[in-house]
Amino acid sequence: MTPQNPAPLPADAPWIVMKFGGTSVATLPRWQNIRELIASRRAEGARVLVVVSALTGITDALKQLCAEGNGDKRKAAAGAIAQRHHELLGHMQLALPDKLAARLGDLAALAADGPLALGELAWAAQVQAHGELMSSALGAAYLTASGLPTQWVDARECLAAIALPNQNERTRLLSATVEAQPDPALSARLAAQGEVFITQGFIAREAQGRTVLLGRGGSDTSASYFGALLKAARVEIWTDVAGMFTANPRQVPGARLLQRLDYEEAQEIATTGAKVLHPRCLSPLREPRVPLLIKDTNRPELEGTVIGPEVREHAPSVKAISARKGLTLVSMESVGMWQQVGFLADVFAQFKKHGLSVDLIGSAETNVTVSLDPTENLLDSDAVAALATDLAKVCRVKVIAPCAAITLVGRGMRSMLHTLSNVLAEFGQLRVHLISQSSNNLNLTFVVDETVVDELLPHLHELLIAAGALRTDDSALFGPSWQALYGSGEAATQGTAWWRTPAERERLLALAAQATPRYVYHLPTVRAQARAMKSLGVVDRVHYAVKANTHPAILRALASEGFAFECVSPGELKAVLAAVPDSAPLLFTPNFARRADYLEALATRATITLDALHPLEHWGELFRGREIALRVDLGRGLGHHEKVRTGGNGSKFGLPVEQLDAFLRLADAHQVSVRGLHAHLGSGVLDPKHWGEVYAQLASLAERIGSVAFLNIGGGLGVPSHPGEAPLDMAALDRVLREVRAAYPHYRLWMEPGRYLVADAGVLLARVTQTKGKGNLRYLGVDTGMDSLIRPTLYDAWHEIVNLTRIDTPAEALYQVVGPICESGDVLGTDRRLPEAQEGDVMLIAQAGAYGKVMSSRYNLRDEADEVVLDD
Amino acid sequence: MTNINPRLTQSFRFLRATYADGVAELAYAFDQGEEMVERIRFPDAPALPAERQHAFDAALRLLHLVAGVSYYKAGVPPKIEVEPLDEATADLADALYLHGLAEFAYRNGLDLRGRVAFPRGGATPVAAPVLDLPKRTLVPIGGGKDSLVAVEAIKSIGGAATAVWIGNSPLIAACAERTGLPTLNIQRELSPVLFELNRLGAWNGHIPVTAVNSAILALAAILYGYDSIAFANERSASAATLEYEGQQVNHQWSKGFAFEAMLSDWLHTHVAADLDYCSLLRPYSELAITRAFARLTPYFDAFSSCNRNFRILGPKPADRWCGQCPKCHFVFLALAPFLPKPRLLSIFGRNLLDDETQAAGFDALLEYQDHKPFECVGEGAEARAAMYALSQRPEWQEDALVARFIREILPQLDHSQLAIEPWMLPSDEHRVPARLQPALQAIG
Repeated sequence: MTPQNPAPLPADAPWIVMKFGGTSVATLPRWQNIRELIASRRAEGARVLVVVSALTGITDALKQLCAEGNGDKRKAAAGAIAQRHHELLGHMQLALPDKLAARLGDLAALAADGPLALGELAWAAQVQAHGELMSSALGAAYLTASGLPTQWVDARECLAAIALPNQNERTRLLSATVEAQPDPALSARLAAQGEVFITQGFIAREAQGRTVLLGRGGSDTSASYFGALLKAARVEIWTDVAGMFTANPRQVPGARLLQRLDYEEAQEIATTGAKVLHPRCLSPLREPRVPLLIKDTNRPELEGTVIGPEVREHAPSVKAISARKGLTLVSMESVGMWQQVGFLADVFAQFKKHGLSVDLIGSAETNVTVSLDPTENLLDSDAVAALATDLAKVCRVKVIAPCAAITLVGRGMRSMLHTLSNVLAEFGQLRVHLISQSSNNLNLTFVVDETVVDELLPHLHELLIAAGALRTDDSALFGPSWQALYGSGEAATQGTAWWRTPAERERLLALAAQATPRYVYHLPTVRAQARAMKSLGVVDRVHYAVKANTHPAILRALASEGFAFECVSPGELKAVLAAVPDSAPLLFTPNFARRADYLEALATRATITLDALHPLEHWGELFRGREIALRVDLGRGLGHHEKVRTGGNGSKFGLPVEQLDAFLRLADAHQVSVRGLHAHLGSGVLDPKHWGEVYAQLASLAERIGSVAFLNIGGGLGVPSHPGEAPLDMAALDRVLREVRAAYPHYRLWMEPGRYLVADAGVLLARVTQTKGKGNLRYLGVDTGMDSLIRPTLYDAWHEIVNLTRIDTPAEALYQVVGPICESGDVLGTDRRLPEAQEGDVMLIAQAGAYGKVMSSRYNLRDEADEVVLDD
Repeated sequence: MTNINPRLTQSFRFLRATYADGVAELAYAFDQGEEMVERIRFPDAPALPAERQHAFDAALRLLHLVAGVSYYKAGVPPKIEVEPLDEATADLADALYLHGLAEFAYRNGLDLRGRVAFPRGGATPVAAPVLDLPKRTLVPIGGGKDSLVAVEAIKSIGGAATAVWIGNSPLIAACAERTGLPTLNIQRELSPVLFELNRLGAWNGHIPVTAVNSAILALAAILYGYDSIAFANERSASAATLEYEGQQVNHQWSKGFAFEAMLSDWLHTHVAADLDYCSLLRPYSELAITRAFARLTPYFDAFSSCNRNFRILGPKPADRWCGQCPKCHFVFLALAPFLPKPRLLSIFGRNLLDDETQAAGFDALLEYQDHKPFECVGEGAEARAAMYALSQRPEWQEDALVARFIREILPQLDHSQLAIEPWMLPSDEHRVPARLQPALQAIG
């Protein structure tokens, strides 16, 4: 609680404008909350102006009242609206205050009179303004009664709407604009009246004295206007979410809270997707440089998003990624436009003529491509056909749809292009119809086919983080993920890595003292992951994809957990056969293997997966009478972005679906029975619904093949590498798979995870060799690099790196961690915050249990890292 | 567990067909092998009025014969064992097994001529009486556009109708719901032995499923009391897909007029003189039906004609349209002349005509460099007319496959054969009963 009677404020005390929305003002507990928040701002030594919306649902009720032709029904509606306010007053144990009584009376009279006297639009504005007039009157009474003397201010006395040239009567009255400049006289006048004020959002007054509305996002905009008028210390928008995020959390649950934005960035994010703030409420604040703060009413302890003048002391970073769907592109091609005066003016006149509004524009010397936003006019009239007919007279026209615009937002986008290579490579796999980059250097927009967006967006978000383009490691700019703040309680969080405990650390330091570089594998972690995998009760058989790590101790540990094994070469088969009991089932899933490989595998108990026509076409006799599995490529166009990696014509894996009939005929000819279908969608996938889709697609294919008994939906279960990243939600995955299982109960379900089982269990230990400064970069050399662990070089994989010797020392240096190999790509980690290191320090590279040792080489003839197994 | 090689069986035996408590059981066997029992479940089945018992028994016998085709095809043995049939019934069964399995036979390199021979010599029953069945219609819903056009046509004349479907498709359920009609969902359970036979190397392929559904609905009409069954099979369903060693092969034979006429006559003589079986869309071309459907906006985000059996529905177009099968290709092409382009693309979620990789699929529809695909799609000439219409439209003509049509295919075609208007004219060949004929106005 704040003190009830703080010292009076000086006349020039700063102002804080606080805006509360409809749900925040609809109940007594929420008003109690508001009261506390106001009191705390007052206690900071600020005058407070509170801007409120109407009680939730009231604005809609007023709009319905306006649409009602029957006077009696209007009166009844006004009565019901009054009743809502009476009920809230009852909860507050307050008598009806005079101000509210007067408003209720006015509303009843307006309802009874109808629009005739005032005119339809002016009457509607007047009626709808009552939502805020009533809620603010009620709030003033409540706050004053609860010991916080609060002055009621009529917003219409302060906000003067201006006439704009392109306005008509409707927009003048129902979506008005106010020009708000700092007004010291208003500040002084209010300061003389008290310390806490309450006023209305959404309403203003025009030159003729009529009440006008500010349109969509109006209450936030009102708060901004007041912030500018009073030149407030800040404007606080209190809402149901902590601020703006790096992406729409519904599409990207891992989206991070944006803690600091400049006005332009925030406006760009608001216009390209974020709904939390209406874009127009930022411009009034820009000139007077009043910061705007977005806060979560339910979680006031969260930092929220601060939007203010440009911040210079931070490295450039992409701030957000967004997608807008339903775009139609019109591409116009003609040599006629080259150096022709007025060509484009004529072309754009056609868009105006057909009532189509142009958004993005991309141009070349002989082509102009524009985007049209989705509107009913576009979808259900012949506007596009008519436009195309007119345009076809002067150029070649192509109508491309449905498209989606994916926009990266961040100040100084052009200076970040070099960090985006992986992100751009992703677009390289897609049809990109248009790229747009405005001269304000705030955005980079790609227009792609709409189908790819749902899968693409979370993936791009990940890539931006991994590429260091979205610098989530900068805790001043980026807050927690939406998942962490608001995700359902069951969402798993990353456990503490096994090697962080003091005992394990001592053990690792002792092992490193004997020899480095050295891989250390922790079997209890392998077993724990195996059990997490087995928690997927819906999966009938889990194979360990041994390519991730073929150490015999790991194979034995997984065999005793009941796992089957998936091998891709005769060598892997030999290693597995030597290590695991005869009862463990085997799967042989090679790609472009030679005939002799199959011959070897056929001599074992392994189930063989084919993924091409060639083996049956040319070596069919080898498989006569056998049961096999078939790996298919589900191809693009089925909604999978990930398959761009392991599917589509650009990938060497899998039989294309269109060759399925040919395969089945060959199988039949050789009495080969296709018992299983297999597809694998890529690796590092953290979204459970991917497997659901693959499963459902395989099942619907299997229905065409009588002999299929099992479906192998592959592996690729992601292991989060960045701190704070949420791990794969196994309970959600189980749910998704069960849903498909219920539709196709007659197929057994197989999976084949690799990295998921072993990545966390392994670490690579290395020792510091030398350090070097070069320009403003500092290099930290260790005694192994891409020869032991090639993933950072090959895939730009991110591995956590810690100085095990100085694990408790503050991380103040920024290092590029590099190995001793004569390759400029021999970098284990870039821009790592680490303690100041010295020669001989033991460095630990985490998550090296998968694709570490198995991919190592003796390049430069350096000695290979050895392997140590910890069994407890 | 059965343990036979289905392809070496000698006889296919119709064991028995029974009905009790809303469940019909149809039993079959190969040789002396395990019984295969198919169950059809009629929800909330009413008690059968005594005067309909005779008709019900006849319809159940027909269903037994017709549904047997799914099992017979697993082995295609030389002998069919069943109580001798009267001439009309044997003709119907022979035709169904021979023509309905023609594509299956072609794909598997089999010749069923001379092999399909139902035993004859049964007494011809006395002509079926008028049962005064209630004046209402069963309209089977398939989730595609055609049945929705039929539904709206019947609704337009205020006809009483029930949307009926067989099986568990969530897509069909969603479409049936959208019609606003009362619904009836009949369940059909294949014998698990059939799955086992498949694993043991049974013959597999297309069966005349419309015939099976028709027989189920005939039984349902008698059970629940309907005087008509109105399918939504169009004119081109009667066209053969190809000819193979002197035999016409029609993928959709049981959707064709020959089968419709045969079954309709048989029901009149053997079940009830006032039970009408027809296709409401028989007079129309695919294009005419598609044009009618283009006016039914409320169904756009619910329907799909795609071949893939979507058992799990999602909100995205890709959850209803695979975009790769002939049905997707045809419906996309046929709708294109009748819908604003952005609306059409929003239905499919993508532009199939601007995708080079789909060229072979569209070529097949156009009967260019390929025969007609084995799917329920319009005649090649309809596809060519639709494509020609697009080739004249600036908003389409730069799309990859339309441009390719203009460049490569159109010069080889006779332009006088490409108009879309002739396809809008209905033909006279149909069996729509007098009571439903006014509904045809709503379509053409």
